[in-house]
Order: sequence, then C-alpha cells, then structure tokens
Amino acid sequence: MRLRTWAFCLNEANQNLLRNPVLAIASITTTAVSLLVLGVFLMLSVNVNAIATSVESQVAVRAFFAKNVSPSQEASELQTVRGWSEVRTAALVTKEQALAQLKQQFGNQAKVLDSLGSANPLEDSLSVTAQKPQDVKDVATRLADLSGVVHTTYQSAVVSRLFALINDVRIVGLAIGVLLLIGSLLVITNAIRLGMAARRREIGIMRLVGATESLVHWPFILEGLILGGIGAIAASGLAYWSYVAAYHSAVRSLPFLPLVSPSPIARDIALLLLVLGILLGAVGFRISVRRLARI
Amino acid sequence: MISVRRVQKVYPNGVTALRDVDLEIAKGEFVFLVGPSGAGKTTLLRLLFREEVPTSGAVIVNGHDVGRMRPRQIPYLRRQIGVVFQDFRLLPQRNVQENIAFALRVIEVHPREIKRRVAQVLELVGLSDRGFALPAQLSGGEQQRVALARAMVGRPVMLLADEPTGNLDPQNAEDMMRIMLEINRLGTTVVMATHAAHLVDRARQRVVAMADGAIQRDELAASYHVEVTR
Ligand SMILES: Nc1ncnc2c1ncn2[C@@H]1O[C@H](COP(=O)(O)OP(=O)(O)OP(=O)(O)O)[C@@H](O)[C@H]1O
Ligand SMILES: [Mg+2]
Repeated sequence: MRLRTWAFCLNEANQNLLRNPVLAIASITTTAVSLLVLGVFLMLSVNVNAIATSVESQVAVRAFFAKNVSPSQEASELQTVRGWSEVRTAALVTKEQALAQLKQQFGNQAKVLDSLGSANPLEDSLSVTAQKPQDVKDVATRLADLSGVVHTTYQSAVVSRLFALINDVRIVGLAIGVLLLIGSLLVITNAIRLGMAARRREIGIMRLVGATESLVHWPFILEGLILGGIGAIAASGLAYWSYVAAYHSAVRSLPFLPLVSPSPIARDIALLLLVLGILLGAVGFRISVRRLARI
Repeated sequence: MISVRRVQKVYPNGVTALRDVDLEIAKGEFVFLVGPSGAGKTTLLRLLFREEVPTSGAVIVNGHDVGRMRPRQIPYLRRQIGVVFQDFRLLPQRNVQENIAFALRVIEVHPREIKRRVAQVLELVGLSDRGFALPAQLSGGEQQRVALARAMVGRPVMLLADEPTGNLDPQNAEDMMRIMLEINRLGTTVVMATHAAHLVDRARQRVVAMADGAIQRDELAASYHVEVTR
C-alpha cells in the first residue's frame, strides 16, 4: 500500500477510537493493568528466585562419622575438607553439640529427649557449606567417599519447600496475569467489533467500489495495535521505572539481599510487556475478523 | 460484455430466485430489467458484480467467469463495474466531493487525478456547485446523482442500477434517467432494474422482462408492457 493509503487507514482507525472514547480508554487501561500485574509478578519471581538460589548455597551438608572413628581422625578429615576449593566453611559438630542443638530446637518439648537418659544416639559429624549452590551435590558425594563417613545429608527439604512455595506463587501470579490478559483481550475485541459495526456502510461501499480486503482490514488491525500498544507502552514504562526505583531503594535499606540488578532484566521485561500488548491487539483483531467477513 | 448461461440461483433458505436464465448483453447496450416484485431482477444484478455466486451455470463479465473467480480478483472486477442502488448509500458524515473521492481513494488513485475526475463526474451529474454539501443537505434526487457520480468516477465499463429512481419524484426520476442515457451514449454498458413503466416506455431501449426467476420477454426498442398492437 502507498503511504497515503496507510495514512487513510490510520485516520480511519483513529476515527473508530474517537467514536467510542470510553471503550478505547477501557481497552487501554485494562491492557496496561494486566500487563503491569504480569510484569510485577515476573520481577518478583526473578528476585525471589535469586534469593532462593543464594539461600541454597548456604545450605550445610552434614557428613556423619561411624561410632568408632577417633577424634584425631575426625580432625584430620576436617583439614582435608577445608582444603577443597568448592568448600566455603567446614566445622566439626560433636554428638554432644548435636544433642544440645536438638534440645534447643525442641524447646519446651525437650523433655521427650530426657527419656534417652545418658545415652546419646547421635554421631559426630562435619558441617560443610559450599561456595556455589550447584557445588552442594558434589561436596556431598565427595564427603560420602571419605573414610569413616557413614552417610551424608543436606537440608534439601527446606530449600525444596522454599522452591515449591516460589513455584506456587509464580503459578498464581501467572494465572492472575493471564486472566487479566484475557479480560483485556475481550475489551479490545469488543472495541474493534463496535468499530466494525459503526463502519458497516463504509465497508460495504469500499467493497463495492473495488477496495482490496487488506485495505478493508488494515484500519481495524491498526485500531487493535493502537489499543494494545498504548496500554503496553504505559505498562512497560511503568514497570521499568518502578523496578529501577524499587531496586535502588531496596539495595539501600536491605543491602544483604541478593537482588537482580535492573540491567538487563528490567529492560527485558519491559520489552516483553510491549510485545505482549501489541500481540494482544493483533489477536483482538484476529478474533474480530470473522465478523468483518459477514458485513 | 455480459453473458449469463443457464444460471440458476437458489438462496441458502431454499428460495429459487433464478431458474435457468440465459442472457447476452453486448458492449454499449442499454438494458431495462423489468418484472414484478420477486421476479429475480436484483438477484441477477448481484450475480453480475459478484455479490452472489450462481448455484449452477456461468456468469461471464468482461471475459471473466465471476462465479469461479478467486476472492483476490473480485476487487478488480468491481473496479470495472459501477453500481447504484435505490437507497443511495452515501456516507452521511462526508460531503459530496468526499463521498465521490472515497471510491478512488480506496483504490489508491493519485490525489491530483482524484480531484480532476471528481470535478468531471460532478459536472456530468449537474452538481458542480454542491461539492461541499453534506448528503443530508441534498434532495433525494441530488443524493442519487451523487451516488451515480460515485459509481462513474472509476470509469467503469458497465453501470448496474437497481431501481435507481425508486425513491425519487417524477421530475428527479426523469433527470436521473436522462443522465443514465447520456452515460450510455458515452459508451458505458447500462443495466437498469426498474418498475418505472413510463421511463421505460419513453426511452425505447432493450427490455428484458422477468417473472418468477425466468426471462419472459427480451425485445429491442421496447416498452414496459407487452405491446399488443405493433
Ligand atoms: N438474500 C436473500 N436470501 C434469501 N432469499 C432471497 C434473498 N434475496 C432475494 N431473495 C428471494 O429471491 C427472490 C427474488 O428476489 P429479488 O430481490 O431478486 O427480486 P426482485 O425482482 O429484485 O424484486 P423487487 O422488484 O421487489 O426488487 C424473492 O423470492 C426473494 O424473496
Ligand atoms: Mg429488487
């Protein structure tokens, strides 16, 4: 199509929007809000993920010694483990310390443990943390291979529960975002359909005088793109700006949190929202197009 | 120019609007399509500009089998055909010039050419001084002439008119008829469905009379009713 024909289509699209400004505003705001919700959930989930990863790296691996291993052997094994490059910290936990810890965890129910009397069923162990979360498994296997070590555990339960929680939150967030997106899709579709109904006579004449179908379609495609696009620009701008702002204030007040820096993630999410919004407009047109064929 | 061969048209609701119609119209002819309501005149016209497709048989317009035409080609067929309806079908929010120019804009004619041609057709229909009026500010007769100008501005080889004088008073109907005959004289093939017996009788053109979906009579230089004395 020629440039002036694009101008014609754009003008027709604008006329449709102006003819029904309330619906246009509704389309734009629902699109913006649903994209923003989606964006916020994405940003939260990226950061919670980062925090969880760093928590996992601090998880201690425990290597339990057999009852007959001597304290001097335990001390030499501790030195060996401290020499490994993947290891951040390593410490010896005697069975007495372990029992004390257990009593502390049980709190006022510690009486249960009194029935043990003077017998201590626990073993001496090494408590080891890794440099990186992905090293945890390796460290655990290497510890298991040490002489005198009977078995190893690491507190994967806590971490996996944390990850499960994050996953749930992410699914709920995604579901809410998708539902809102569907809602805004319906509003956009409705706006386009009303435009089609309002332009029924015009479309009839266009076809009568030999306009191509693409010329009949483009004003509505543009209408969808404008509706989705404006909402998307608002949402992605707001998402980007608020991420940068939130990041900087969080870094100042909670410096120990391993948050994800805005570059490049805020830009990527903003771009994703933009693409989604434009896609929303295009899909809105796609859904309405069958009505156009019946005009 | 137009060749309708053994055409049958059954609408989806089961109504048979045309049964076995054969019709040849040569380039430059003026043809009245007459007959009682429900005879199938409108249906026949709609087949010619591919608003409908025949149930069986073939409709050939300008060498193209329009019933079997690919959808992509339909716009190019329509650019060769001007159509006028009983109800004008103007765009109320656009003025006369814009209404006419619209037909050329949507087929991407150059603006300078559009301007030139709009002036020409306005002159043809005698509305040169009403270019900026809105349809609501025009009489029915003037509105129909704008519709005629819009149909002609693309320089079609044929003009199809479905009861173009149906909503007009006798004076406006006669003006309209005069312009259509003039258009025909300039070389455009014209097919006009009408109930206006006096216009048909006065024009002395070819008359195709239909009834109940079939052609009953096809005479040159004829009148609306069968002429008993000759
Ligand atoms: N779109 C349609 N769907 C179903 N039936 C139709 C349709 N259009 C016309 N018909 C039927 O087809 C038959 C022929 O109709 P058509 O409009 O061609 O007649 P006509 O000669 O133009 O009549 P009139 O003089 O009243 O305009 C009629 O019985 C009509 O009811
Ligand atoms: Mg009719």
